[in-house]
Amino acid sequence: MSEGGASKGKPRPFNRRVLLAGLVVVAPLVAVLVMNLGRNPHLIASPLVGRAAPDFVLRPLDGGEPVTLASLRGRPVVLNFWATWCVPCFEEHAVLVSAARATGDRAHFIGVVYQDDEEQVRAFLARQGSAYPSLLDPGSRTAIAFGIFGVPETFFIDGEGRIAAKHVGPLDAPSLEAKLRLSGLAP
Amino acid sequence: MIAALGRSLVLLALLVSTVGVVVGAATAMRRSAAGWAWTRRLAYLFALAMIAANVLMLWALVARDFSVSYVAQVGSRAIPNWVAVVSLWSSLEGSILFWGLVIGAYVAVATWANREQHPEYMPWAVAVWLACGAFFAFLLAGPAQPFQTVHPVPAEGPGPNPLLQNHLLMAIHPPFLYLGFVGMTIPFGLASAALLTGRLGHDFLRPLRTWLMLPWTFLTVAIVLGGWWAYEVLGWGGYWAWDPVENASFLPWLTATAALHSALLTERKGVLKGWTVTLVLATFLLTILGTFMTRSGVFNSVHSFTQSAIGPTILVFLVLALVWSIALLALRIDRLGAEGTIEPALGRDALFLVNNLVFVLFTFTILLGTVFPLLVEALRGVQMSVGRPYFDRMAVPLGVALLLLMGVGPALPWGRATPAQVRQALVPPLKGAALAAALGAALGVRRPWTLVALAFGGYTLQVTLRELWLPLARRRRAHGESFGRALVEAGFVRGRRRFGSYLVHAGAAMVIVAIAVSSTMGESREAQLRLGEKTEVGAYSLTFLAVDQVSEPHRQAVVARVAVTRAGRDLGVLSPRMNQYERQREPIGTPAVRSSLFEDLYLSVMNIDPAGGNLGLLAMVNPMVGWIWAATALMAIGSLVSLVPSRADTRP
Repeated sequence: MSEGGASKGKPRPFNRRVLLAGLVVVAPLVAVLVMNLGRNPHLIASPLVGRAAPDFVLRPLDGGEPVTLASLRGRPVVLNFWATWCVPCFEEHAVLVSAARATGDRAHFIGVVYQDDEEQVRAFLARQGSAYPSLLDPGSRTAIAFGIFGVPETFFIDGEGRIAAKHVGPLDAPSLEAKLRLSGLAP
Repeated sequence: MIAALGRSLVLLALLVSTVGVVVGAATAMRRSAAGWAWTRRLAYLFALAMIAANVLMLWALVARDFSVSYVAQVGSRAIPNWVAVVSLWSSLEGSILFWGLVIGAYVAVATWANREQHPEYMPWAVAVWLACGAFFAFLLAGPAQPFQTVHPVPAEGPGPNPLLQNHLLMAIHPPFLYLGFVGMTIPFGLASAALLTGRLGHDFLRPLRTWLMLPWTFLTVAIVLGGWWAYEVLGWGGYWAWDPVENASFLPWLTATAALHSALLTERKGVLKGWTVTLVLATFLLTILGTFMTRSGVFNSVHSFTQSAIGPTILVFLVLALVWSIALLALRIDRLGAEGTIEPALGRDALFLVNNLVFVLFTFTILLGTVFPLLVEALRGVQMSVGRPYFDRMAVPLGVALLLLMGVGPALPWGRATPAQVRQALVPPLKGAALAAALGAALGVRRPWTLVALAFGGYTLQVTLRELWLPLARRRRAHGESFGRALVEAGFVRGRRRFGSYLVHAGAAMVIVAIAVSSTMGESREAQLRLGEKTEVGAYSLTFLAVDQVSEPHRQAVVARVAVTRAGRDLGVLSPRMNQYERQREPIGTPAVRSSLFEDLYLSVMNIDPAGGNLGLLAMVNPMVGWIWAATALMAIGSLVSLVPSRADTRP
């Protein structure tokens, strides 16, 4: 080192032990942090995936016969838990509606209204448009059976009534497509 | 308008700090008075820009100007004004902006305080501070912009996270935490300056110690305020859960405490310079690690902000700071040669080393427990958590060891002690130990660790009180002063630093004892009650009287009225409640706490039927919890007493 040559009798350029000790402590720590960067700790794998979906009997918003899951057997079901007070649900609504229109009758799209006011749901759907039935879940029994943690959550159920996949949070077009493929709906 | 002005201020801060780094470094390398003046001006200007940006944001929050993106994100017309102000740090972008305010204020004050001192170190220090400031200005200018323009302007916003609206402590805990965390930038800059110049003189240890102790005080208070908040809001009756983010605030506290002690040894004996500097650097690095933990979304915690894009950016900063620190240490640590030696014998010097060893061990233990789950998940893809058992098992012996060291260390004389001196110093406090343990046993303490903590606490308290009393008694004898006069002279005028430090020790000892007692000696009872029914916990009898529904502008609450009697005496009605915020699914409880000198009665609603039929009640008796808060106040007071420079300190 050119400047400050006042060090007493120790002209070593650097202290290898300090360097080594520093790296030994720090390198694994940084490696672990980097490996975990993309992780979302709030995603807890649902034990329901791979199992038969819990059956339900729910009344549709616009009246008519109650819908059971068993009656939808044979075709994949996209079961979306949502509410009008939930901003991400608002964001994903258009994605779901256009996907439902595109899939036509190859799959059932079903909304389950989560802790919401019937009138507000009706107003929301009138304003934002709808392409599939929304079911009412008084007392949140179905939501509890599905282990809903927060809205929106979407379950992808295959033709045999098994839960093939689950999505937490708002769906965008690519992730919806990927999950649809998982549940046996190759586009 | 406001958004554009805010963006300009952030860009100004970024520009000024970047130029300041260059000017400061150049000044440090070629020693120019004009350069130093410019470095200072740039530091002040940086502070000014950050302060102005924060004032602007506060104004927008209070005026509910939803054209500013951050206000649209956290503001609401339905919230009271104090919540609007508090929401400045309630969400990611605002919290970084607030960080900017704190770092700006620290840099300005620390620069001003040292404007005429330490000319060889200061330009380096200011350059390092401004480099850190530039990073946060960069975050505000790019990845975490609070001042984006929203168009069209929404009529109403969602309001901040309800947990933050639920208690006034949320207005106090975060600012203290920031003052603690961000403040560690200042000692980091000073330590870097010492390494860059290749020397750490006796005169420079004072600012290093002062600027380490100030944020340390804030951090101490912040950690305990966080515990207090959890206790008053979360409703599970505890104050500490070894949550990753709690650990994140505790880690730098441990290294900073170790650094304060090793700096004392450096000051007295001229030894351990490199070690002290290393601890100071580590403290800063741990604050950045903690920031990464809260902001990256990698850790699951009550504290985590929503997932954001700034995680990788903070990680890059952390890596840069790590590389900087390790390289600087490796290049320069050998120049910080010792000027004295440590006595290799039983005495206070040696106890300082043991103290440092325990603190560092503690740091690694907590760090390992915090990061280990991530390692397992990365390698094996299994989610796991290292829960309380690990932390409790590790922290209890370490905490108890620190408690004993606080007694043994100060009792021993400096340097080499003769066996007779050791006996004379260490035997008398055994009385205090025996007294405290006997008192505990008489009151029903049976757990071995709690008894050990009480005994060590009694030991340390006796030593500490003696150290507080001695100079005072000496003065009274020598000068014939009255008690009050001697207290003022000995405690606050002359030996302030020493007196304050022992106050901190007394507080810390009390905190450890209170934690030991409260976490092992409590009673709890869960009960399902119908109207009019009774349950009992400890000596208390609780009757479920009524349910009220309260409507407030920003929330609805269901309040349970519970009548409390103790040994037949009426203690009034406690009202634990369940708050329901708009747009929030989970209700948030507010427990009701009745504190007395020795114990708290803690009532928390687990579930309640608004129609009035049923109440699920968690009732706890928590002994000595209030002592934790009181003893922390004592620590803070002691720390402030020792921070004010005293006449005796300015020795030639």
